[in-house]
Amino acid sequence: MLVSGTLFMHSNDSHPRLLARLEARRCLKDIEPRLFAEDEGPRHGEVVELCGAEGTGKTELLYHLLCRCVLPEAAGGLEVDALFVDTDYSLDMLRLVSILDSRLSSALRSSLSRLLVVHCSSSSQLLLTLHYLETTLNSRPSLALLLIDSISAFYWLDRCEGGASISRQEEKLSKCAELLGRLLRDYKFTIFATCHTIRRSCSGLAASRSSTLEADRPYLCRPWQRLVTHRVLCSRQEAENHTAGGSREEKRQVFRVHCSSSSSRTKASRISSFCVTDAGVQFI
Amino acid sequence: MVGLQEGMCPGLDGGLLRSLLAADVKTVEDLVSSDLEEVAQKCSVSYKALYAIRRVLLAQHTAFPVSGADLYDELLSSTAIISTGNPSLDKLLDSGLYTGEVTELSGGPGSGKSQVCFGVAVHVSHQLKQRVIYIDTTGGLTASRLLEMLQSETSDRDEQMEALQRIHVFRLFDAYSLRDRLSTLRSGGLLQASGGGSVKAVIVDSVSAVISPLLGGKQNEGMSLMIQAALALKTMAKDFGVAVLVTNHVTRGGRGEVQPGLGASWSHIPRSRILLERTDRAPSGCSSTLRSATLIKSSRQPCLIKEELDLQWWSRSERRSSGKRKRDEADS
Repeated sequence: MLVSGTLFMHSNDSHPRLLARLEARRCLKDIEPRLFAEDEGPRHGEVVELCGAEGTGKTELLYHLLCRCVLPEAAGGLEVDALFVDTDYSLDMLRLVSILDSRLSSALRSSLSRLLVVHCSSSSQLLLTLHYLETTLNSRPSLALLLIDSISAFYWLDRCEGGASISRQEEKLSKCAELLGRLLRDYKFTIFATCHTIRRSCSGLAASRSSTLEADRPYLCRPWQRLVTHRVLCSRQEAENHTAGGSREEKRQVFRVHCSSSSSRTKASRISSFCVTDAGVQFI
Repeated sequence: MVGLQEGMCPGLDGGLLRSLLAADVKTVEDLVSSDLEEVAQKCSVSYKALYAIRRVLLAQHTAFPVSGADLYDELLSSTAIISTGNPSLDKLLDSGLYTGEVTELSGGPGSGKSQVCFGVAVHVSHQLKQRVIYIDTTGGLTASRLLEMLQSETSDRDEQMEALQRIHVFRLFDAYSLRDRLSTLRSGGLLQASGGGSVKAVIVDSVSAVISPLLGGKQNEGMSLMIQAALALKTMAKDFGVAVLVTNHVTRGGRGEVQPGLGASWSHIPRSRILLERTDRAPSGCSSTLRSATLIKSSRQPCLIKEELDLQWWSRSERRSSGKRKRDEADS
């Protein structure tokens, strides 16, 4: 009796909130086994960062993962809710729908209703939206995936606003990262975020190795880097010639992903390749 | 950062505001991220009152999630494909410029970027009868050139004047004016600028002319201006349903290959990118109007495809040939 009394004292809707915290959300370990090393898929509360230059397939990978999540189990999906935080207006709904359509045309509307999209236009708005996310997490216990495209969209804006002091420059993103850390601990969902590279890797013959490492070095603030448990480096290879079952030779872009997981258990890495067709990402 | 002000929400009166400022809570973000119990103690207000204020402020300033199904329906009803007027370019772009997206056209000097922009502006204003906002940062746009292009489309003087009136030109020559003009257009100035009509295309020729002098070195301001202008263009495209076309210069990459300028941070901004180059097979001794266009980034067509463009071709074939015949007859 006493216990239930104290529970109700703090806020109006504590009961569903408590349940939402206690119940485990769907584990996304098996979201894409071809991407992660053996049994190293993202567990509860883990963060996967997809980094790469422009045109290396990061957003396509997000669409692929999104489709896998929202499609019904009959079509090979996981039937969980997902929230897409769009910071640079790069979500192409028409492309997403064409991928969903090619996998399963009948359950399109019900799959789409499992997806929530929110646009943010500044890192302050991103911070406020993440605070509001707590309410969304409480009201949707099946929300297991948070996609952020991209977390680096406001990097230069914050750097200029912060002036000369680095801590002021990184302040907003650090607050977002700390808030995300708290939400991950309490609600146990999974985050996939893309991060654009800001330096071109000059792929000359001489300095190729060191300059690619230079281009892929993490540059966002420390609190965010501490949060990331899996890092996926995306790159694009030279187009290969591929005979499409006839006399016509097509050039296909092949994308390479190198996934390194550094969670508390082990360090593992895996390299896989995929190409992009009308039906989305196809692993090779 | 949004500062806390009196009367922003019910319950935030002058006295409470002063005690919040004294407790170092100056902005909405500070209030939302702070520990409410601690702040309530410091300002000696009730936790409940602060919680209610926090809730209202959060609801006012946050971005609301939209269901994917609703977003898709909205997009279906509002997306349009604007033909560029040139069939080869349309083929490359998967039938034309899509509204709600930024398309980039890059090329070296003399590769025809401005010519393509003029052609698109003339096509949209004359054939599609929609308004165009043209932001010129190089000084290369002249009304007489647009008139010349319109005269090859139609010989009716009234139609030519009407089409010219639908193209609204802004001339800016530095990055700050570009950012300010784009912000004004984004926050509702689009309708005012076009005199109340529907704008379907915004062309910026060229973005790199004003931004690239500010890049490099140790200052961050150039990059920040570039990203602010880019965000304004994107939100304008999405919110008002316009197709945005921007032009960019080119640089040479590590292996000597030609690539668009403005660096890696800009490269994520446009949804589709086309590289224009002069073709090698032009017969010597005469200036060719042929160009080769390569699609280097697209979310709809995954392969690198090339098309040949004729810069002279900027209208329907029958009108073009009839216009040319009339001029030839007049000459001879």
